[in-house]
Amino acid sequence: MDFILEGFIQALNLLVGGNPETYSAIWATVKVSSYSIAASLIIGIPLGFCLGYFDFTGKKPLRTVVDTLMALPTVFIGLLIYALLTHRGPLGNLGLLFTLPGIAAGQTILALPIVIGLSATAVESMDQKLRITIMSMGANRRQLFISSLWETRHGILAGAIAAYGRVMTEVGISMMVGGNIKWHTRTITTAIALETNKGQFGMGVALGLVLLGIAFCVNLTLSLLRRRY
Amino acid sequence: MSQPIYDIKSLEHSYGDKTVVAIEQLSVQPGSIVGVIGPNGSGKSSLLRLLGLIEKPSRGTIFFNGRVVEPFSDEARFLITLLPQEPFLMKRSVFNNVSYGLKLRGNGQDVAARVDQALALVGLPSKDFARRPWYALSGGEAQRVALAARLALKPRVLLLDEPTASVDAASAQLIREASLRARRQWGATLIVASHDWQWLYEICDEILHIFRGKIFGSGRETIIFGPWQQFATGKWGKVLSDGQQLLVPAPPGQNAAAVIDGLSASDDGSTVSGDTVVLNGIVSRLSLERKTGQLFATILVGDLPFTVGLPLKQGRADNIFPGEKIFLRYRHDQIKWL
Repeated sequence: MDFILEGFIQALNLLVGGNPETYSAIWATVKVSSYSIAASLIIGIPLGFCLGYFDFTGKKPLRTVVDTLMALPTVFIGLLIYALLTHRGPLGNLGLLFTLPGIAAGQTILALPIVIGLSATAVESMDQKLRITIMSMGANRRQLFISSLWETRHGILAGAIAAYGRVMTEVGISMMVGGNIKWHTRTITTAIALETNKGQFGMGVALGLVLLGIAFCVNLTLSLLRRRY
Repeated sequence: MSQPIYDIKSLEHSYGDKTVVAIEQLSVQPGSIVGVIGPNGSGKSSLLRLLGLIEKPSRGTIFFNGRVVEPFSDEARFLITLLPQEPFLMKRSVFNNVSYGLKLRGNGQDVAARVDQALALVGLPSKDFARRPWYALSGGEAQRVALAARLALKPRVLLLDEPTASVDAASAQLIREASLRARRQWGATLIVASHDWQWLYEICDEILHIFRGKIFGSGRETIIFGPWQQFATGKWGKVLSDGQQLLVPAPPGQNAAAVIDGLSASDDGSTVSGDTVVLNGIVSRLSLERKTGQLFATILVGDLPFTVGLPLKQGRADNIFPGEKIFLRYRHDQIKWL
């Protein structure tokens, strides 16, 4: 048990003392997860809205595919992105392998089905009376879309939080696409995996605490926003 | 007569293979109050949604002020508004709910004043209610806020779908008064679907009786639903809860609905001819149609309500008052099958 306690003490020293290696991993994580969540929300919310709102042929099979993709294994996405971005792959000339944007691309694929699926669920559970209300007030098509989206904001927000949680805590994509390069593509989760292998519990615990802290801050901010709007 | 505000031609609307509205022709005059009555599932709400341009009809055309309109038509979307049956507010404050439609119209300047006026019309003081969130209202208050959101728009057409069905008596009274003010103050056309026959008879210029999506009368008819049985005598009919036999001509199907138009009521119970059926009932309610000065009596025979129209003079002469026994009379040829 002592080594866990020592780990906690060492973690606090690393965080309070501003250990550059620790903060490099924190910064990389914040940066890459922000990119990926932003991209997945921009692409996923309109797609999720359309999937939930409109009735079209093949909607049910498509919904099943999206729901299945919500459980995509991160190592599989990592493998896929690696294959695409490696110099022999079709997107090799982009030079994204072992870079933060490369990890962000993989994490976007991870988050996208979650954002689409949960947005679609939020829109599907939208009261039919909402549409009648908005239209009866004189809305045009664009206003109907925007107002409906705004009314389902709490459900969509829940989807965004779930996606952010998945992106923040994944290891497979960051490890395979990023390569866990110190000062460069090492994220909190890959650092924890590495440090634990080396027996360095202190840094692992410190980074774990930071991960929890970031998740807490994000949820607190969103919860405050939700109460206000 | 001025140009109708609504003119409907061969309108038909279906959900899957079920036709919910089938109206060959209907005109509504501007500034009039039209009542729509009919049993649950008869197509009242569907008709209002079509007139409110919420749904596109499966077939047929709706002319509004002489122009063909459909959902999102720029010619009509700012002029028509519908208040649905169940109160529904968007997830925002009372002020933002009531001002929503004004903002859609780009009326940014006098929004606060118009919201205050609209809330006052439905008896909700702005200082007490404007800042309240949507979830901090009772059902009656929510329905009044929803009506205020429509009244703030000063619509040319106000469609009300059973506006008082799910609210208490006090809220119902305020909703009725506020709706009528829309016609008095800016000449709005009101189309009201309601089960409150008494109210409709009092306020409406015209009443439409709708059943299975079709308009078949002016609301003075009595609809009687099957199942029908054939008695040992060979005659068709049904036994009412008090044991009397309601006789009808042979129905087209065992569950067909019969409409009896032109029932007569008097204190004379003698049978005139073999084709005339006389039933013994009790007057349960009287309504006055203001426009014609005619009385409408609801007469219970067993548990079945019948509607009878009769001149005011006859009502007085025959002592037709609630609680009085009365005889209803109809001939077989007065029965139509739906």
